[in-house]
Formats: sequence, structure tokens, C-alpha cells
Amino acid sequence: MEPLSWTGALGPWLVPTLEAALIALALAALAHPLALLAGYRMGPGPEASRSGPGRAARLTGGLLRLSLWALAAVIVAFLIGGLLVQPDAKGILGRIATRLWPVWLSLGASFALVALFRRRLGLVGHLLGNPAGAVGLALVMFWVFAALFADQIAPFDPVTDVIAGMKNKPPGTPLPPPGDAAYGYYLLGGDALARDVFSRAVAGARVVLAIAPAATVFAFMVGITLGLPAGYLGGRLDILLSFLANLVLAFPVILLFFLLVTPEIVAMGVPTYMAGALFLFPLIFLTILWNSRFRTRPPLRAALIGATLGLGGWLYAGLAWNADPLGIVSMPAGVLIVFVSVVFVNAPSVFRIVRGLTLDIRTRDYVAAAQTRGEGPWYIMLWEILPNARGPLLVDFCLRIGYTTILLGTLGFFGLGLAPESPDWGTSINAGRGLLQFVPFPPLVPAVAIMSLVLGLNLLADGLREESLKE
Amino acid sequence: MTAPLLEIDRLSIAFTTRRGDIPAVADFSLSVATGEAVGLVGESGCGKSTVALGVMRDLGRTGRITGGTIRFRGRDLGTLSEPELRRIRGNDIAMVYQEPMASLNPALRIGRQLMEVPRLHRGASRAEARDLAREMVADVGLPDPDRILNAYPHQLSGGQQQRIVIAMALMSRPALLILDEPTTALDVTVEAAIVDLVKGLGRKYGTALLFISHNLGLVLEACDRICVMYSGEAVEQGPVRHVFDRMRHPYTQALFRSIPLPGADKTTRPLETIPGSFLMPQDRPRGCNFGPRCTHFKAGLCDAAAIAMRPVPGADDHQARCLRFEEIDWQSRPPAPEATAPGEVGAPVLTVSGLRKYYEVSSGGLFGRRRRKLVRANETLSFEARQSETLAIVGESGCGKSTLAKVLLGLETATAGQVLLDDREVQETPIQKRGPRAVADLQMVFQNPFDTLNPSKRVGGQILRALEVFGVGATRRARRERMFELLDLVRLPRDFADRMPRQLSGGQKQRVGIARAFAGGARIVVADEPVSALDVSVQAAVADLLMDIQRTRRTTLIFISHDLSIVRYLADRVMVMYLGHVVEIGSTAQVFAPPYHPYTEALLSAVPIPDTRVEKTRIVLEGDVPSAIDPPPGCPFQTRCHWKDRVPNGLCARELPPMVELGSGHRILCHLSAEALGEMEPVFRLAAE
Ligand code: SF4
Ligand code: SF4
Repeated sequence: MEPLSWTGALGPWLVPTLEAALIALALAALAHPLALLAGYRMGPGPEASRSGPGRAARLTGGLLRLSLWALAAVIVAFLIGGLLVQPDAKGILGRIATRLWPVWLSLGASFALVALFRRRLGLVGHLLGNPAGAVGLALVMFWVFAALFADQIAPFDPVTDVIAGMKNKPPGTPLPPPGDAAYGYYLLGGDALARDVFSRAVAGARVVLAIAPAATVFAFMVGITLGLPAGYLGGRLDILLSFLANLVLAFPVILLFFLLVTPEIVAMGVPTYMAGALFLFPLIFLTILWNSRFRTRPPLRAALIGATLGLGGWLYAGLAWNADPLGIVSMPAGVLIVFVSVVFVNAPSVFRIVRGLTLDIRTRDYVAAAQTRGEGPWYIMLWEILPNARGPLLVDFCLRIGYTTILLGTLGFFGLGLAPESPDWGTSINAGRGLLQFVPFPPLVPAVAIMSLVLGLNLLADGLREESLKE
Repeated sequence: MTAPLLEIDRLSIAFTTRRGDIPAVADFSLSVATGEAVGLVGESGCGKSTVALGVMRDLGRTGRITGGTIRFRGRDLGTLSEPELRRIRGNDIAMVYQEPMASLNPALRIGRQLMEVPRLHRGASRAEARDLAREMVADVGLPDPDRILNAYPHQLSGGQQQRIVIAMALMSRPALLILDEPTTALDVTVEAAIVDLVKGLGRKYGTALLFISHNLGLVLEACDRICVMYSGEAVEQGPVRHVFDRMRHPYTQALFRSIPLPGADKTTRPLETIPGSFLMPQDRPRGCNFGPRCTHFKAGLCDAAAIAMRPVPGADDHQARCLRFEEIDWQSRPPAPEATAPGEVGAPVLTVSGLRKYYEVSSGGLFGRRRRKLVRANETLSFEARQSETLAIVGESGCGKSTLAKVLLGLETATAGQVLLDDREVQETPIQKRGPRAVADLQMVFQNPFDTLNPSKRVGGQILRALEVFGVGATRRARRERMFELLDLVRLPRDFADRMPRQLSGGQKQRVGIARAFAGGARIVVADEPVSALDVSVQAAVADLLMDIQRTRRTTLIFISHDLSIVRYLADRVMVMYLGHVVEIGSTAQVFAPPYHPYTEALLSAVPIPDTRVEKTRIVLEGDVPSAIDPPPGCPFQTRCHWKDRVPNGLCARELPPMVELGSGHRILCHLSAEALGEMEPVFRLAAE
């Protein structure tokens, strides 16, 4: 079989269009600032000041927008065209687009749903009207769905499918005969161990998106549980906790990670103890949450706390101490270390944000109103203050998942924590970096993946911030 | 007549929002002559601040001028280029905002900020600029200009900051000064001083003033002409006294009738509230904007077509936007609702004796030596409040009234003295130990309507929580029913239970706050400035609501306020506080008539009264309230008192005066002799009509 070209049958038409669009974009991007500058220089006559930028600037501005749209349209045409043309006319892009069909379907469906119930969805609904927010949401959702449907999308197993003769092959290389494998090509080439780069990137999304958000949630639980009382009660507790937070923040992250994976330290059980302490926080958090809210309704309170402690205790025993009596819940040692270190370095920043927000919100009259009702401090912290801090916290949550993703990449890159054959993006980059000059794709693809996910998260955070300010 | 300085002609301004364009100002015309002071009044949302921003061409990204022209010295501001506009904004038009800190850079010394103006605009040398700045600081009545020039903004009090902002605005000798609610954030005595200052400086430099305010009394005191706005339009304008005495627009009249003037009385002549509520700009009706709320509305006439300003005969330049002003009988009042019997004052429910509250604050940071300082927030307070009575606590910021409220509610414990709730001593019992009944008995209504409700919880849920905590109702159902009854009580529709606070107006939020306070059947309610942040027409309604509930439930209302007009209208007894001391206490009639405590006298004279018939003695207090960290020796008021020299041997500076009984429960804290007190004249006189 022939190796695939990038664009397949669509190439002859779309590639020149793409080039044209790119050239137009480059020209407009160069000309627009010049035109703006010139318009300003010319001395703003009465005309100019009323009509805004000069005519030349308006022209170049229009051109800029037009070429951007054209570029987007060509890219979409690549994807849609790739999906639609005959199987044997597809290029690499077309085939990738085809493999990703569950993602497109779910993306379309979820955006349609959001658009349909826009009015009722509040903040998420408004996001669609915000360009940055919408693009960010799309990117994030893309990776979420890719992670969800990784098994359907990836043509090969990311770890075990090692096919002889595919080592370090460029993208679009057909499998050597006999082609009895499930799929005929390595779409983005093979890596140094002859595994499919495309499948590994997709499967890596699953690893990253399983760890990053969960670890961030844990970090938030810790930060909130400690930050609220530090801000609300103040005094010595605040001084002590702030000092500890600064201490952790001042500690070099990488050194911390190296320490945590050192066999002696692992043998001493340090990561497990840390997990034992850190994983306790969600339990504490939920328990005081229910206790303070439903203290006036004892039966409901007892039920909720019982459920939390029962379920949470079981998960806790399994995850932190690997001591699930039923033997269902457990966490691999490597993942545990990564998880613990990510929570450990993120929690202090969250702590500081929560503390600052609490200091501000506790001066509000509704907090005083709760005090004059005789509410306890935890009720006030969790039910009066925390809900009103949610805007900035949500924004930070998005950003922090992004940091965590990068952090996971860094950890993987240093070979810390996760197993060396793990398909996660950091490990893949590390594995491929040696031959970067000759075989660029194995490290490049996961790098682009990290970049696009983090970019999406940051855009989403920007959109959320803008929209919540408009409220 | 010379051409006016500022001429706004048929100005329209719109804001672009998610839901399309919203017209904020429509067809607004106004002119300001050189050296003239024009007041722009109206309630929040009427567009008065938008007009000012339009003049400054500072409408932000979403605002747009959609029609009309603004001419300044005959030049159309719309045709000027950005640099020219900037020059005019810096040199010829200056603006002072409500919040002084918004215009000051916290990181620069006052001197730097003041000197920048002449250096930038006139290229003055450093020394020249410094002299100018010093002169201006002295001009705005600040003592010790050199110290002030070297201070940072946060080292000054709010009143001083506002003076500096005014000085900064005047540095470039503008022809027009726009003041947007310049005194709303300040205390009354400070407010009075600032208004005097602005008037005087306007005269001295020949500056024209555009004075934006919601306070009719202030406008009467400070302005030559007035323009009343409603819903984006000017509805009436003319010479101040003419408009006040012969108003010719139903809205202006309704506004005047909703504020407590001397003579209003809660039982015999209650305030009138404007029916209906303010319409959002997008729901404005055809014809007269005020139509839906106007008692003189005539279908077919008032809602037929847009109404233009029409000249009112009798004075030149008096105009009103009403088609029927010739026919309306301006003297008639709707029949007063049948006089409700005043609630009978019962036995004392709250007795405070010798209450003292000191705080310790430590200054000095981590490395400096820690110095502990004592804040004497409350000094030996003694008073009692009876069932079904309204006791007003009056005083300016820093007088200790908020601390008193905290101690009463159990958020703080007393340093010394006794607080008796019925017969139980509660001064040592923090709120968590008081038990639900005692907590529910003593509740509070807060000042800021935008802060009193938790913005992320539904209105119903917040009331339900209070019911739950107070142990009202056995089941969820019963509590829900009770919650609806409470909404009825504060006259809100029941479906408000499912609304979020941001969907409510300020007055509605305040009603929810009241409902929440009464959730557990409170017997004593401490209301901390419950209406001062509301628009005047809403104030009346909320105040009357409180009174109604009080009458039916025989609640004791402790009404904390600095607004003496509303206090006079509502309160049975008044307690005046200054620097932690009760300086005067007595029935409302006693406190509002001589003999006064010297501080009460000054406070009363500072209240702007929107009635041309009232003549007032002006007593402007010098300086600021001393700090409670080191209060002056002797009488707390001795640093600012006008009567001090009437007391022999400088006794005021040495000894704390005793509480002197002047008869039937009227007591003042002063050394003045009976003769001196007898000489005091009433602050207000009603001029013969
Ligand atoms: S025009 Fe009619 S509705 Fe409008 S204020 Fe006059 S009488 Fe009232
Ligand atoms: S005691 Fe003296 S200083 Fe104090 S209020 Fe009376 S006269 Fe003024």
C-alpha cells in the first residue's frame, strides 16, 4: 500500500486555498497596525475623531477579519471534506477526522443543547455569546469527549500494540503485510517502540483528564477547608496557616517531586501518609457542610453525614491506604504519588485565594445578618460566604486544571510517578525527545495536545471571568 | 442675555446591552449660564448621572449619544477631536464624584497630585505649582496645608478627601464644575460644610456648578436653578424657589410629599408614597412617562403623544412637562388615611445601664514593637427602650452607635455595665449562648439593601432559614406557609419567594430584610439606617411599613440614623450620641426644640430642609470627630463646641460634664448653666407665609 498524503484527494483544491488564506492573513496582519498608526498620525481632524479609525484602517481591519474567517472555513472544509469523501480518497487529516466522529457528534449535540437552553443555563449559556469562551469551551469539550471515547477513536492499543517494522515511521505509513490488524495505517506515525502515535495521544487524554480535574478538585477541597476559617476567624489560626502555605509555596516543586519518588521515602510511606492526610479533607469538608446546614433538621443531617462518612470512608480507605475491605477501590502507587504532589502544591494557592475572598465577603451585611440569627461560624463560612466566592473560584478552577495538566506533563517528562510506558502526554514527550530532530512526530503530537487543552482551559477561564463580570 | 456656558439641546443617550439598546436619557435640554449653580435631581435610574457623563463624553464602551447636541461656550462638543475634548475636560470642565477615593491615587502624596494639574495644563514650575496647591488647600478650608500636602490620601478623613478632590477639580480654574452626589457618602455636619464650601468657591472663582443630587434640601441650599428628572427626561425646571413653592409637575409634587418635612407626623399626616414603581427604560409608556403613576392621569390626553416641555406662566424659564398643569388643583391633598391610634407605650423591655465597650487594637507590624491601644467605643451608656416605642439613636460615623448595636445583639460582649433584656442580664452572653428564643426576640434590619440579602440564595430560602433557626413551625410545610405570611406582611407578592435577590429593587430587598428580621416574631428590632440608602419615594414606603408592623405587633424599634428629618417623623424618643457618649436623650419634641445640647444644635442646623419657608440658623462645625483612641479630656464635644466659652474656668476641657436632667426625662450631657441654655434659640423658624 501507498503511504497516505496529508490531504488526500482534497489536496489539489484545498491546499492552494489554504495558502491564499494564509498569505492574505499575513498581509492584513502586517498592514492593519500600520494603517492604524498612520490614521492616528495624520492628525485627527474633526472627521476622523467622529468616525473612529481612518478609512484605510477600516479596510485593513475588514481584510483581517475576512482572512481569519477564510482560514477557519478552510480548516472546517478539511475536516468536513475529509469526513465525506470516499475512504480511499482520504488523506491523513480526513482519516483522523473520520476516526474522531464520536467527538464531533457529541460536540455538536452538546453545543446544540446549550444553545437551545441558553436562557436557563445562566453563565454557561452566556459563554456561547463570548468568542473566547466559546472557543475555549469547544477545545475543552473536544478533549473531554476524546478521552471518553478513546477506545472507539484509537485504532490501536496505546501500550501493547507494537508492530514490527513501524518504528519511527512518518505519518500515514501503511502497516507492513500481512495487514490483518484492525486498521491499515499509523496515522501520525510510529514512535521509537513502534507504537501508534495517534492512539497514544488519544489514550493520553484519558490519563490526563482523569488525573488533572480530580487532583484539582482535591486541592480545592483542601484550600477551601483551610482558607475559609483562616479568613473568617483570623487570629493565630490565620497566621499559622498562612505561614504554612507560604512555606509550601516557597519549596521548589521539582525537588519536592524527586523527593516523593525517592525509593527510601516511598518505603518510609511518606506519600501514603500525605495521601492519608490530604484525602481526609473532602470528608471533613462534606461533613461540616451538612452538619452546619441541617443542624435544625437532625434526621436529614444524620442521614447525609452517615452517607458521606460511609461512602467517603470506603473510598478513603481504598484510595489513600489501599485498604478497601471489598478490594474494589485502589490507586496505583505511581498515580497516588502524582496525585498527592499535585494536590500538595496546588492547595496553598487555593488557600490564599479563598482566604482573600473570605476576608472581603465577611464584611457584608448578609454575613452580619446570619450572625444575628445565631448561626455558627461554619454555616456562615460554607453557606453564606463560599457560594458568593464561586465566580472567582470557578475561573481559578479552570486555570488550575490547565496548570495541573502542564504539571502532569512536567512530571511525566522527568519520568516521575507514572509508569514509563504510560501513554500520558508528558511521558510520551520525554520518550520521543531524543530523536526530535529526525522523527518529530512522537513528541510533537502530545505537545500540541497539551497546548491545545491548556489554551482551551485558559480561554474558558477568560470567558467565564468576562461573563461573570457582566452579571 | 449672553450665550449660556453649557447648552444641552435635546440630548439622547442610549446604552447597548445584551438585550438591545436601552435609552437612558431622552430629549433632555438644559442650559447653564456662567457662574450659575444648577441642581439636577431625581431618583436613581432617572439618568441624572448619565447626563453628566454625557457632558464629559465619558460614556464607556456601551454608551452612545444618539441625538441632540451639547454646546460648551458655543462649540459643539460632538464635533471636537479627541485632543481638544481632553483639553476642555482638563481645563474648562471638571467633575467631582461621590466616592472621593475614586479620584485620588492612593500611592501618591496629596501635594504631588494637586501640583500635577497646573504643571500639566499650564506648564507651571514646581515652586509655582506648590504655591498654587497650598493656596487651594487653604481655600477648601483645610487646616495646616503643608501637613496635608505631605499626607497620603488614606491618612485623611472622608470629608477631607472630598475637599481635596474639590481642590483638585478647581486647580485648573474650570468654568464648569460638575458634582455628582458629592456628599452622599459623608456625615451631615461634614456635608453642610462641603456645600458651604462649594457655594463660596463657586462665587469666588465665578465657576458654574452642575450639582447632581437626590437630596432636594441640598439643592435648595446650593443652587439657583433646578431641573427635576424622571425616567430619562427633564420633567420640570426653573428657578429653585419658584419650583419649590409653585411646582407644576405631579412628579415633583409627589417627590416633595414623600419626604418628611417639618410638620409631617406619622399618625396624623403620614408621608404619601408614589403609587406603582419605577419603570425600566424599555417599558416606558406612550405619552407621559409618569402617566402610570400619576394621580392626575387622563386617558386619551396624557397617553396620546410625546409631551414637550411647556412654559409655566409666572416666572421666566420655569417649564414643566405636563399637559394638565393649568387644571390641577395644586393645593389639594388626597384625604389622609384615617388616623391610626399611636401604639400605647408599654413597660421597658430593654434597659441599659452604665454600658461600656472598649476594644483593644494593636498597631505595629510583625517587626515593629506592638503597641496596644484602647478604642473607647462606648462610654457609660444608660437608657431604656419600652415596648411599642421607637427610640432613635442619632449620631455621625464614629459615635459608637454601631458598636452599641453589636453589644445589644450579642455579637460583642460588654466591657462593663449591664444590659437587661426583660429581666435577664445579657451583656455577657454572646449570641451563640442566648438560645433561639432570645435571639429571635432581638433582631436587626441592615442598612445597605444591596448587601443585606445573600446574592446567591433565593429570597424564600433566606426567610425559611431564619424560620428554621428560630424554631418556627414544626414541618417544612408549616414553615413555607409562615414564609408566605411574612411576605404578605411586608407587602411583597408571594411569588417573590422564588426570585434571586438581584431581580429585586432596593426597596424590595429591604422589605425582605424586614420580613427576615420579623421571622421569629421579634420583640425588639434594631434598624441600622434602614432607609438611608433608598430613594426618597421608596424611603417613605419602607418607613411606613416598619411603623405599621410596629403598631400591630407592639415591637420596640431601635432606629439608628443620621437623617434627622426621618427621625423627627418616626421616633418617639431620640438619643443623640457623640464619641461614645449619650449627649442628649429625651422625647422627640424635647430634642428638636431648645434647649439643645450644643452638638444637637449643630446637627439640626446641618440638615438641609427642602422647604423655602423654613429659615435656619447655620452652625458649621469645624474639624472632624476626634478619634475614639485618644478622646479629648473633659467634654467629648469640647474640640468643636461653639458654647464652650460660656462655661467658666475652662471646665469643659477638664471635666466630663454630668448628665443634667432638664425635666420629664430630657437629659443632656453639658456644663452649660440653666441661663445659657435658656438663651438658645430654635434652629428652625417657619417664616410667615
Ligand atoms: S401629562 Fe398627564 S400623566 Fe403626565 S404628569 Fe401631567 S397629568 Fe400626569
Ligand atoms: S460641656 Fe462645654 S464643651 Fe461640652 S457641650 Fe457643653 S458647653 Fe460644649
